Amino acid sequence: MALSAVAQETVLALRRKIARLEATLPERLAAPTDTADAVVLRRHGAARPERLLLPTGAQAFDDALGGGVPGAALTEIHGAQIRDAGAATGFALSLAGPILQRTGAARAPILWIGTTEIFRETGLPYLPGLCGHFGIASGDLLVAEVPKLVDALWIAEEAAGLKALSAVLLEIQGYPSKLDLTATRRLHRRAQAAGRPVFLLRQAAMAEPTAAPVRLVVSPASASPRWTLNGPLAGSIGPPGFKVRIDKSRTAPPRQFTLEWNADEHIFTDRRKQALPPQDHGAVVSLSQHRADPAPAPGTLLAFRAGGGKAASPDKSSREEHAAHRRPRRAG
Amino acid sequence: MGIADARAMHPAIEIVEADPAADRRLLEILADWCDRYTPLVAFDGTDGLFLDITGCAHLLGGEKPLLDDLHARFFRQGFDVRAGLASTPGAAWAAAHFLGNRIVAEGGEQGLLAALPLAALRLDPATRSELESVGLRLVGMLMQAPRAPLARRFGKTLLIRLDQALGQLEETISPRLPVAPLSVERQLAEPILLMEGIESLTLLLARSLKADLERRNEGARILQLLLFRVDGMVSRITVSTSRPLREPHLIGRLFHEKLAAMEHGLDAGCGFDLIRLSVLSSVPFEGQQADLASSMEDKSEDLALFADRVRARHGDRAIMRCQPAESHIPERAVSFMPFTEAGGKAEILAARMPARSPRPIRLFAHPEPVEVIAAEIPEGPPARFRWRRALYEVARAEGPERIAPEWWRAGPEEATRDYFHVEDADGRRYWLFRQGLYGARQGNPRWFMQGLFA
Repeated sequence: MALSAVAQETVLALRRKIARLEATLPERLAAPTDTADAVVLRRHGAARPERLLLPTGAQAFDDALGGGVPGAALTEIHGAQIRDAGAATGFALSLAGPILQRTGAARAPILWIGTTEIFRETGLPYLPGLCGHFGIASGDLLVAEVPKLVDALWIAEEAAGLKALSAVLLEIQGYPSKLDLTATRRLHRRAQAAGRPVFLLRQAAMAEPTAAPVRLVVSPASASPRWTLNGPLAGSIGPPGFKVRIDKSRTAPPRQFTLEWNADEHIFTDRRKQALPPQDHGAVVSLSQHRADPAPAPGTLLAFRAGGGKAASPDKSSREEHAAHRRPRRAG
Repeated sequence: MGIADARAMHPAIEIVEADPAADRRLLEILADWCDRYTPLVAFDGTDGLFLDITGCAHLLGGEKPLLDDLHARFFRQGFDVRAGLASTPGAAWAAAHFLGNRIVAEGGEQGLLAALPLAALRLDPATRSELESVGLRLVGMLMQAPRAPLARRFGKTLLIRLDQALGQLEETISPRLPVAPLSVERQLAEPILLMEGIESLTLLLARSLKADLERRNEGARILQLLLFRVDGMVSRITVSTSRPLREPHLIGRLFHEKLAAMEHGLDAGCGFDLIRLSVLSSVPFEGQQADLASSMEDKSEDLALFADRVRARHGDRAIMRCQPAESHIPERAVSFMPFTEAGGKAEILAARMPARSPRPIRLFAHPEPVEVIAAEIPEGPPARFRWRRALYEVARAEGPERIAPEWWRAGPEEATRDYFHVEDADGRRYWLFRQGLYGARQGNPRWFMQGLFA
């Protein structure tokens, strides 16, 4: 910021006052857009404003958090049970993955730290899946695996201050006493200084006092079916759903959202907002006209003679052929 | 002499079983310790060491001071050693075994050996007794005898040994460790005990190493710190770097991590009196031009240093890079490689990566057996299954995706796998597979849990 410290203090005090008048929190007021002078000129003249929030794309969720998940802080992501590891991990990576997309060519990797035990319990990161879901390619992921929690914390602390990483994921199981308020505060401060998020992924854990400003509890939601041209494909498993509960935030009241991950555009969408794709009722192929009838099928039709007369009309047959083509394939 | 005879003569005698392995270990420790005199140390049988001190003697003030120093130190450690110093390994061996503590001047080998028995030539006993039976008892007699009949009757080895001892034929010793291209060391008058002392000395050594590396235009990839303890133990601490390294403070930090991780393992005992820093492997070092605005922070350098520190502390497998591998079997499709600078092959494979069908984001290293209670027979998804003692109801399933085993691998033939993407009643998504087919000859198929979806 180009503002001096004193001026900044005044602005903050005024914001607090306005917030009190409007009966809301200062963080929820719209941020002033006078950041033009705070832009740092980089090599090749590219401007890189400080990114402090990671918008998820789901409007209601972002609004509740005041614009998105904090981008330069420690964020806790909880899974209630070990078996929810897939959802909790998926949510953390869906926040970390888009950072890679935004940085463009000079990609800095994501570091995923865990103990041997947790990787045995919940599985190792699997690159083909990460690539398909979150666009994390082979050079973008570093995995640190150590037998002891203390060592994992040491690595996380060292990594949290490193600008050469896009995000740090520390995966912990349960309630270790080592990860107390002090330890999380150190992680948080370092993440703030480096301007990058640190995600604390806690499997099978309940809320505990930590220094993280935001805590999200993630549980799986059933996936919506795949969409085809013909509408939802019954029985199929489409984009993954997440039930995200904001458990701790300075701006948002505790509330649960159901989000859906769009793996192609790398954004979240609100489940209930998803509109049906426009239904196309017109003919798919223009009907042929002023032509001779198609040649009759060779041989004699023995069964279903009664229905045979119906299928004789050329336009109907073409419609039905298309429809058969697009008929949802039964899974299994 | 048998044990009974020995006991009869000295009833209080202590009997200890021979332990060749322990003797060997002791000899190895001694050889390690002798590294302080020269990097070229070789074993000689089970009870001796060869030290090639070519070019090293002046570091200790000459041959005589070196030999005295060696004697004094070994004596203080409680060893009685006999050493000979000569221009050829053969002559030195003879001097050590038959005269003890003799320095043979250059050219003096002939005079030395002439008066010694044949055993001084390192001959096998059979040849020796044959020679003795014809009256050749001293090496001097052998030198005067005509060579051709000797070679004809006793074989070539005899003359080779003789020539080697006299320096007419080159003899090389085979050192037990490769020689480091660069080493710097510091002798300490007062042994040091504290980790801080060792670290600051390492930094000093790294500083003097930097000049050498710069002259050679190289950077170190593998560095070794040798700590010689006063009582003869030698600790070797090795760190490897993922990019060529030259900066003393970075080298110092790597050793700091390594020492911090092994503080319990490093026993300082009575202190270390010699510290040596060696570069075991080095590669050309390319300097990089910084720009004026210093806006081009070299991020990868930070990352490489971070990874090196993690590896120094927790071992090579502590920080790994995921790499796609050439296999269609899911658990073999990704390999975890120790962190290095980006490789070329990975990039090519990465371009091919995007999966054709959905893949889980987490994969169990070993597929976990699942008890399927009900499944659509013969080839449908499970309707209900038990995994880790919990029961799951399948709400929806996609599949099967059939993955055949890799027939080109040797070994027992695996059954075909049919993969299902399954969602349970709570919305959790799993990747299950059935190994084998219902109705196949090899018995009933088995089900496994392999991964978790987002």
